[in-house]
Amino acid sequence: MDEIQNLTSLINRDYEQIPLVSFDEWIENPERHSRLGVGIIIEPKDDIYLIKDQLEFIELIALDFNNFDDGRGYTQAYFLSKRWQYGGEIIGINAHLDQLQFMIRSGVTTYQLLDSYQGSNEEDYSKGFSMCYQAAANNHGLNLQY
Amino acid sequence: MYKYSEKDKQFLVERVDQFEKQLNRYLSGELDEDKFRSLRLRNGLYMELHAHMLRIAIPYGILSSNQLKALADVADKYDRGFGHFTTRQNIQFNWIQLPEIANLLRDLTEAGLHAIQTSGKATRNITADPLSGLTEGEIEDARPYCELIRRWFNLHPEFSWLPGKFKIAINGAKLDETALRIHDLGLRLIKNKKGELGFRVYVGGGLGAAAMVAPETASFVPIEDILSYLESAMRIYNLKGRRDHQKKLRIKFLVRELGAEEFSRLVDEDWQQTKNDPDLKLNLKELESLQEDFALPIEPINLDGFKDKVDFNYSIWKKNNVRNHKTSGFSIVNISLTKLGSAPGDATSEQMRILAKLADQYSSSEIRTTKRQTMVFPFVRKDQVFDLWKALEENDLASPHEGTLAQIVACPGRDYCDLAKAVSIPIATRVQERFNDMNKLLDIGDLKINISGCENSCAHHHIADIGLLGMQKKGEEYYQITLAGETLHETNIGKKLGPSVSSETIVDAVESIVNVFIDQRQKEEKFIDVFKRIGIEPFKEKVYG
Repeated sequence: MDEIQNLTSLINRDYEQIPLVSFDEWIENPERHSRLGVGIIIEPKDDIYLIKDQLEFIELIALDFNNFDDGRGYTQAYFLSKRWQYGGEIIGINAHLDQLQFMIRSGVTTYQLLDSYQGSNEEDYSKGFSMCYQAAANNHGLNLQY
Repeated sequence: MYKYSEKDKQFLVERVDQFEKQLNRYLSGELDEDKFRSLRLRNGLYMELHAHMLRIAIPYGILSSNQLKALADVADKYDRGFGHFTTRQNIQFNWIQLPEIANLLRDLTEAGLHAIQTSGKATRNITADPLSGLTEGEIEDARPYCELIRRWFNLHPEFSWLPGKFKIAINGAKLDETALRIHDLGLRLIKNKKGELGFRVYVGGGLGAAAMVAPETASFVPIEDILSYLESAMRIYNLKGRRDHQKKLRIKFLVRELGAEEFSRLVDEDWQQTKNDPDLKLNLKELESLQEDFALPIEPINLDGFKDKVDFNYSIWKKNNVRNHKTSGFSIVNISLTKLGSAPGDATSEQMRILAKLADQYSSSEIRTTKRQTMVFPFVRKDQVFDLWKALEENDLASPHEGTLAQIVACPGRDYCDLAKAVSIPIATRVQERFNDMNKLLDIGDLKINISGCENSCAHHHIADIGLLGMQKKGEEYYQITLAGETLHETNIGKKLGPSVSSETIVDAVESIVNVFIDQRQKEEKFIDVFKRIGIEPFKEKVYG
C-alpha cells in the first residue's frame, strides 16, 4: 500500500518553507490566508474554478495525485498552468512513478513521489517518449508531431 | 495504403519498452495489482478466465496483407493458432502468457500494429466505416480525420485517466455503418449551407444496462476546430463524470444527469476559451498528406464486354457476399468466417495466411474487418471475382452466409470471458443448425442476430434485428430478447420483447420471431419495416402465447 503523506508545508524553489492549507480552509477565508502567504493543497474533488480570481495571492499549489485512477488532477494542472497562467509552482504531491510524464505535460512544475517509489529510476517515466502526438500545457523541449 | 512511418514505429517500440518495465516491476512485486491493472488495460491486456487476453487495434478496420501475416505469426507463436476478430475493429488473442507479452508486442511493431489504448479508461481505437472510400455518396472519407484524432488522444496527458472508457466513431458515408450514436462520442461529417466541411457531434451514447442513443451537442463544428471541441467535451467529462459509482462511469450517465442541453452549454463555454488557440487547430497540411495515403490504390477499368461465369453455388455466394464498388470495374467482396460450430469472428492462423495471400493476389494487398466480424476484400476486379471465389472455396472460406441470418455476431461468452453470465457461441451454433438450409436463409434474407453474454454488450445485441442478452436466473442461463434495433438509417435501441427465455427454449423463440416476420412481410420489407408496421404484439403472442 502507498503511504499517503499528510503534508503541512512544502519547500518552494527558493528553499523557503511554505505552510499549506486545505482547499476548504482557503475558500473559507481567502483574505486572511493570502496575508499569511500560504500554499493550498487541492484534491481531485475540489472545484478549481472557485480560486480562479485569487491565484495571484496563492504562494504555491499542491495537486494531490494519490488516487492513481482519478484523472481530475491533470485537468486542474491544465487550468492553472495553461488557461489561467498561474505564475507560482504547481507541485504534484503523492505522485506515482508511472504518471510523471502525464503530470509534467499537463503543467505540473515539480513533484514529490510517494515513498513507495524510492530508489526507482524516475527518468524512465518522467522524460516520456521521443515524440508527442499532441500539444499540451507543457510542450517544453518536446518533439511534437500532430 | 496508409502505413506508420519509422518515427511512429519508434514510438511503438518505446511504448513496449515502457510496458515491459512495468510488467517486470509487477512480476517482482514492486507494482501492486490495482495499479498494474490500470496500466495493463491501457496496453490492451485483460486477465480472463483461463489466461491473459490481449486486444490489438485494427485502426479503421484496415489491415495490409503483411499485417495479417504478422497476426497469424502471433497466433502461432504466442496463442493456440487462432485469433478472434471483434465487433469494434480489433483482434483478440485469448491464450497469452504474461511474461511473453512484451516480446509479442515487439514482434508486432514492425508491422505497425499495437495495443495502445485498446482498453482502459482512455480514448479507445476510433471506429470508422469499414467501407470508407468504397461506396457512392460519401461526403468524405472519414479515415484521415480518424487518424489525426487518434494521434491527438494517444497518451494525451490530460485525458488518459478518464472516469470511464471513451469510444469515438466517425462516419462520412450516407449510411451509418459505424453506429456512431451508440458511441460515447460520435462525429458525422457534414457540409453546411456554404459548402464548408465540418462535424455534427453526438455525445453520450452507449449500450450496456442503460442503453442510450447519443443526443446532438453541436450541429456544426468546422473541421479545423474539432480537436478543441473534443478536448472541451472530454474536459467536462473528466471533471464532472461519475467516479463514485462503478456502474455510472460512462459519459452517458453524466449527459443524462445534466441533461444534453446543460452538458452542451458547459462544453461550449469551455470551447469558446480554446477554439482560437493555434496549437489546437487541426493540421490541414497533415490532413492533406493523410488523404493521399488513404486514397484508393485503383483506377476505374472498362469491363463492358465482360460476362461472369455461371455456377449455382457461385451465384448464391455472389448474391450474398459481393457488393458494388464506386470504382467501375471493381467489386467489394465480403468473406464470412462463419461455419457451423465455429465461434463467430474466430480465424485460424492458416486462414489468416490464406486470406493475406489472396489479398495480395486479388485485392491490392488490403483487407478490412467489419463489425459483423467478417473480412472484406475492398478492391477485387469484377473479372476476377469468380477466380477469388474458387480459391476461397478450395480453402473452405466461401461461406455464403454474409447478409443472411447465419452471419451471427456473438461475443466470446462464458466459455472464455470472466464477465459473461451465459454462453454465446453455443447459442449461435444452435441457431445456425436450426436454419441450416440455404434456400430458407435466402428466403429470409438479411436478418441480423447478435448475442451478448452479459450486459457489457460486446456483441451489440441492442442494435440487431434480434438481440439476445445472456443472464443468470437461479443458477440457470436465460436470454432476454430485444427486437428491431438499428443504426444504418436512424439509430434505435432494440425493444424488449418480454420476460427472458431459458437456454433450452431460446432457439424456438428465435424461430418463432423469424416465422412472424416471414408470415407478415410484404414485398421487399426488411425485419425493421415489418416491426414498425405491425408492432411488438404479434411477436410476443408467438413467443409467449
